[in-house]
Amino acid sequence: MERNGKLLRVEGLKTWFGSEKDPIKAVDGVSFEVDKGVTVALVGESGCGKSVTAMSLARLIPSPPGFYAGGQILFDGEDVLKMSDRCLNDLRGREISYVFQEPGTSLNPVYRVGYQIMEAVKLHRKDVDAREEAIKLMSMVGLPDPETRIRAYPHEMSGGMQQRVMIAMALACRPRLLVADEPTTALDVTIQAQILELLSSLQKELKMAVILITHNLGLVADTAHMVYVMYAGRVVESGATENVLSKPAHPYTRGLLDAVPRLGVEDSAHEKPARMKGIPGSVPHPARLPIGCKFAPRCSKVQDVCRQQEPEIKCDAKGHYVRCYFPL
Amino acid sequence: MALLEIKNLKVFFEARNQSGKTSELRAVDGVSFELEKGEILGLVGESGCGKTTIGNAIVGMVPVTEGSIRFEGQEITALRGKSVKLFRQKVQMIFQDPFGSLNPRMSIGAGISEVLKVHKLVSGKNERSARVAELLKAVGLEAEYAARYPHEFSGGQRQRLGIARALALKPSLILADEPVSALDVSVQVQILNLLKDLQKEMDLSYLFIAHDLAVVRYMCDRILVMYLGKIVESAAATELFGKPAHPYTEALLSAVPDVDKGLKSRTQGSKRIVLKGDVPSATERIPGCPFHPRCHRVQAICSKEVPPVKDCSKGHFSVCHFAGKF
Repeated sequence: MERNGKLLRVEGLKTWFGSEKDPIKAVDGVSFEVDKGVTVALVGESGCGKSVTAMSLARLIPSPPGFYAGGQILFDGEDVLKMSDRCLNDLRGREISYVFQEPGTSLNPVYRVGYQIMEAVKLHRKDVDAREEAIKLMSMVGLPDPETRIRAYPHEMSGGMQQRVMIAMALACRPRLLVADEPTTALDVTIQAQILELLSSLQKELKMAVILITHNLGLVADTAHMVYVMYAGRVVESGATENVLSKPAHPYTRGLLDAVPRLGVEDSAHEKPARMKGIPGSVPHPARLPIGCKFAPRCSKVQDVCRQQEPEIKCDAKGHYVRCYFPL
Repeated sequence: MALLEIKNLKVFFEARNQSGKTSELRAVDGVSFELEKGEILGLVGESGCGKTTIGNAIVGMVPVTEGSIRFEGQEITALRGKSVKLFRQKVQMIFQDPFGSLNPRMSIGAGISEVLKVHKLVSGKNERSARVAELLKAVGLEAEYAARYPHEFSGGQRQRLGIARALALKPSLILADEPVSALDVSVQVQILNLLKDLQKEMDLSYLFIAHDLAVVRYMCDRILVMYLGKIVESAAATELFGKPAHPYTEALLSAVPDVDKGLKSRTQGSKRIVLKGDVPSATERIPGCPFHPRCHRVQAICSKEVPPVKDCSKGHFSVCHFAGKF
């Protein structure tokens, strides 16, 4: 079933909300690919549709209010949007699993963490002893003293430890795709560094692909092989991380990069940073999108054509895609 | 005379554990610093380090256990009656969540006017609405917005409103507690630039409390780094990022994901320092240097002796046994 090492291919995904007559198009024609074992980042500001895209991958968007208005999600060549409930249950947790932003709200406060990890193991893996496996998973994610910790409740743990538990649960069935939705945003920087280190070493060990959903371009530069920049429910630019971040072609990507305060590389760290530009205005509401290019009202390079018709996404020789009439 | 002078400030709370036993939580444990007029002073650290508590102690929202806070030479813990009101005019706060700090049932104009009314700064309805219009314009909003309610605004606009409210009393010191961490990147810069411009125009001073080192670097003249209720390093912004002299600052700087650093690490390999373990609770008593259980440069002496304050260069100090030696 696998073709050219592609684990996941999303083609023109449309995840809409509300009524079919007057929908809110949170995700409107998003396409991307994930190869086996790589890290792909979806980056954008709040409301750009990155989390809805991520949730759609295992059909986790509740319906109503959400519905899939079009497109395909091919996991291993099979369309997730056409799967039966039974196939979906096999897919969720076993093939695709998730780590979310707030570990505190994702864990059930009334069950011990060991039980919650074992639940995932029992559901999908009949071949192993759940308790033993849970202990193994907990030590794999670097939780000290797993034999005792297995009896702890979520509130007895710090945020970083809770996130480790979430990762242990997500890895219970050695998924081939891990979707990490802002996995470190709620954590302090030193803990964030620990979790990132953990995720990247586990990724190598288990050879899984990771989709990293984030608003933090620094995190993308640190970890991702490929990056898809999203704006207003669309991909506006994509390509290899080095290319996109060092030579951005879309004015929005350029604007985002100019808006991120930098630490300064070694030789410029002692200089006073120059005034940053930022992007005027704010992200449009998905129910009130402009007609042409969705970024046109905030764009510095806007022309008449941008306001009339939305540009198609185009590719250059190096596989660097951009949705703009006048790429930089 | 410094605008704000804090000496050996201690703020302790009583914490109760699961079995009901009480212990002392030392949120701020002997902090001293000065803030000069016209300065933007940054206070950084991870959650629980006590940075917000310092801000709260300055405005009197938490009781001070020990130490002194002087504003314009006056001890603020001793202020009573009218002078308290005057102090509150001169020191204003900007909070992290602008929605939580605006009354949802009051129009923007009414909310800002109330401040003016309470402090009897502007008398007469027309004068007040003129002042509101002026304030809204100063923060980059239109005067007509005065009739609208908080829910009608985006996050960035709400933070502008929070700033307008803080400016209403013509303060000389503004405590900004994580003013941009709830905002999107593209909006964050707009607010930071606005704060910078206002500081120059109105001759303000800021105590800028944040966890994001890059934001603090962009904003501040001088930076204090806090860990477990204590200041571990203090330096001019340019100096701190060029030559950190405390292992904690060093680790923080290396742990922050940064675009330039990330792209560089692709060709040259990552030099990230990953600290072990979590930040200890402020109820724990750690012998020696409070940072030693997590420190990547730890030596035998660190667990035995409390490190002295060491001057590294003019205006740059670090509380580490090995300051300046790495």
